[in-house]
Amino acid sequence: MITRRPLLAAALAAGAVTAAIGLTSPAAATAAIGQPAPAFTATDVYGRSVSLAGFRGRTVVLEWVNPRCPFVRKHYDSMNMQRTQMDATASGVVWLAIASTAPSSSQHLAPAALAAWIQQQGAVPTATLVDADGRIGRAFGARVTPHLFVVDARGRLAYAGAIDSIASPHASDVDRATNFVRQALTELAAGRAVSVPLTRPYGCAIHYADG
Amino acid sequence: MPCLHRLLFWSALVVASALPLPALAAGAVVTTEQVRAELVAHAPEGVAPGRPLWLGLAIDHAPGWHTYWRNPGDSGLPTTLRWSLPAAFAAGDIEWPLPRRLPVGPLMNFGYEGALLLPVRVTVPEGFDAPLLAVRLRADWLVCKDVCIPEGGDFALEVPAQASTSAHAARFAAAWAQQPQPVQAQASARVEGGTLVVTAAALPAALQGRELHFFPEQAGVIDNAAAAVQRWDGAAWELRVPLSPYRSEGPAAIDAVLVDAQAGSGVRLGFAVSGDWPAPGSVTAAAPAPAAVTATTPLAGQAAPGFVLALLLAVIGGALLNLMPCVFPVLALKVMGFAGHAHARRQLVVGALAYTAGVVLSFLALAALLLALRAGGEQIGWGFQLQSPLFVAALALLFTLIGLNLAGVYQFNLVLPGNLAALRARHPVADSALTGVLVVAVASPCTAPFMGAALGVAATLPAAQALAIFAALGLGMALPYLLATLWPGLARALPRPGPWMLRFKSLMAFPMFATVVWLLWVLGHQIGIDGATGVLGALLALAFVAWALGTPDMGRAARAGFGAASLAVFGLTLAWAAPSLRTLDTPVQAVAADARWQPWSAQAVAAAHAQGRTVFVDFTAAWCVTCQVNKRTVLADPVVLADFDLRGVVLMRADWTRRDAAIADELARLGRNGVPVYALYLPGQALPLLLPELLSVQIVREALAQVSVATRPPG
Repeated sequence: MITRRPLLAAALAAGAVTAAIGLTSPAAATAAIGQPAPAFTATDVYGRSVSLAGFRGRTVVLEWVNPRCPFVRKHYDSMNMQRTQMDATASGVVWLAIASTAPSSSQHLAPAALAAWIQQQGAVPTATLVDADGRIGRAFGARVTPHLFVVDARGRLAYAGAIDSIASPHASDVDRATNFVRQALTELAAGRAVSVPLTRPYGCAIHYADG
Repeated sequence: MPCLHRLLFWSALVVASALPLPALAAGAVVTTEQVRAELVAHAPEGVAPGRPLWLGLAIDHAPGWHTYWRNPGDSGLPTTLRWSLPAAFAAGDIEWPLPRRLPVGPLMNFGYEGALLLPVRVTVPEGFDAPLLAVRLRADWLVCKDVCIPEGGDFALEVPAQASTSAHAARFAAAWAQQPQPVQAQASARVEGGTLVVTAAALPAALQGRELHFFPEQAGVIDNAAAAVQRWDGAAWELRVPLSPYRSEGPAAIDAVLVDAQAGSGVRLGFAVSGDWPAPGSVTAAAPAPAAVTATTPLAGQAAPGFVLALLLAVIGGALLNLMPCVFPVLALKVMGFAGHAHARRQLVVGALAYTAGVVLSFLALAALLLALRAGGEQIGWGFQLQSPLFVAALALLFTLIGLNLAGVYQFNLVLPGNLAALRARHPVADSALTGVLVVAVASPCTAPFMGAALGVAATLPAAQALAIFAALGLGMALPYLLATLWPGLARALPRPGPWMLRFKSLMAFPMFATVVWLLWVLGHQIGIDGATGVLGALLALAFVAWALGTPDMGRAARAGFGAASLAVFGLTLAWAAPSLRTLDTPVQAVAADARWQPWSAQAVAAAHAQGRTVFVDFTAAWCVTCQVNKRTVLADPVVLADFDLRGVVLMRADWTRRDAAIADELARLGRNGVPVYALYLPGQALPLLLPELLSVQIVREALAQVSVATRPPG
């Protein structure tokens, strides 16, 4: 019942439809929930090149980090960040820690020092990226450390905001807080939509390089 | 950072030793390297009911350091005060002095530098007559420069009740002078796309014409660092400020402080916000640095002209769908009706419009259902209807009935209850609309495979635009018929009604039955040979019923007898087939593997790929016509198979005939929403090469040519 002609027609139709829809993809001016996350390639603390596109098909967490920020230390001293990383990476999620602090800032850590700190904390990110010129941070609109983003397997931004619900510098608040990143990863793994896709991040302002 | 801890420790030690307060562990002052904080009181008439009593935390910042306002801006935390006062004393909220804008590179904070006093009004309860008021305070603040340091302290102070306390009067006076003045400025605000537009009709004369800084008390609403544009028109003021790209709030009312930075004065006003807040996170205004953002964003398309062109292409695509094998017979039916009505033009046009409406609405309904289900997290794609064996069986039934009718086995008017047939005749418009619905339902098996890729992309569009595309598609599908009615010349060109119509009608029964054969084959894959045979039996019995009740030229008694017999047979058949039909809603593992093809799993692909093997995955489904054509022709071609063997390609087949979340996930990862998808994983490349949906021997061989024959692993 299948003849060449209708198939050809159907192929044309499909082509037209695909082209039609492809043309209307909205221009994304910045990272926005549900929209494709900005693409980037960066060098990690060991000099390896890491590209977001290389993880297409896997959920990716981006964590803006600055060891000199007390809010970052709140979540590392309490082991909250490391535990979240371990559980995420154990279930196949890619975790990228990113440092966007400008080298001119007193907050800056050299890549080797950053690597040593990550190791000393027992942290297990898939990679720790150096974003000295702040391009990645600006593209995502990262404001503070820690500021967390979740990119889903299709490369779309699924969560942006704080690690948890209690904006305080006190490690004792960790247990009482809702961990939004954990919640988003659980929902994505279950094939559900992220129920809280946006929260207000809290922490130390990122010191970006000029420009 | 250990050195910081040490520093705090020493600070605490210094504080403890420098303040000899034997009665209390805490004193009125806490000093760190960054701030000197002191609990102060102002009670010029002593502490008594009805007399003014103010408490406050005075913070002197070291140069370059700052603490935060109630809305700290892009980072930071507001200072918090927790009071412990005797029972019935009521401490109010902090009466925040006017904040300052504190830029940090591309970010913006709101806070204070230099000398600051956070005053709190306290109400003294009736009957208070103790000689002293003991005040205790727990204060926490975040102080930042390059680095941020969370600090805090426990403070204690005793205020004499019978004496005047006014040592800090000047400081309190300064804090009061820095309070924003409440105004009734007839202010309002509206959301316009990604911008908040604030207007105020009657601001105090002192502020008119001045540059005002806008500080919303709610955090996370506006883009704090963005330049706001303001305009004065006499006493009327308008401000346009971009919303935060990561806005997590959409308040119905906002309280804000307007500050004339030069004069050091300001007002506080509240206003309602009208207009719809964009969905959180959907504002595509600039983040800290727009230039860098556009450079790294992969998608850049032109909005308006692109969308119009897209709609046009969708119309063309829809028109081409009329040539599909399952659509054509139905269309032919319509054209015949057309020839029959060639004389009544008005009736024809109305019918055509109703038909168009039916087609468009059905497309919209299907697309909306799909979008809704996907939004709900269902792992489905276009063609999802065909993943339900019940739906396939129902379609087979419908097609059989249509085919039998076309073949002349029965007539509708004899089967349908008299009033229903009359209803159809009396409501030709409703009849036309229903035909439109039928065309879409009937066409879905053929269109489904081609809609997959398109819908995968459509999922990235806002729902309204995606639906517009599908409406255009439906319009295109109805267009040939609609044009023919609107163009009388075309109608006249059709052959006159005559015996050819009967022959044509009978002829059209064959594609219908062919479709039934294919649907049963799909069903066989879904629920096995027993289930398919059960459905086949039911179809046969149904044909008998249709004949008995609907064939012309049969006497009353004969029809009654045959009718009763046929219904009994139908009942018996259903009873016989029931056990196998029950599989209609219990899934059976679809069979996909043969000797050469192994069943797909993401792990198997990863494992083979990790060993340096080339992997070819055929994402397919029994209900997908294109998939089957490719499978029977190109993927069974001896040359192609030899090429696969020569290069040691691992062949895997992912069968999506039934719903399968793992396959749906993988398709989504590949940016697709339906089958067929052909993925070729080349050694050393993370991302697979996707081949076109309509394969040819040449396409596959060219893709394989990238794999050198030498990479074939031993064995």
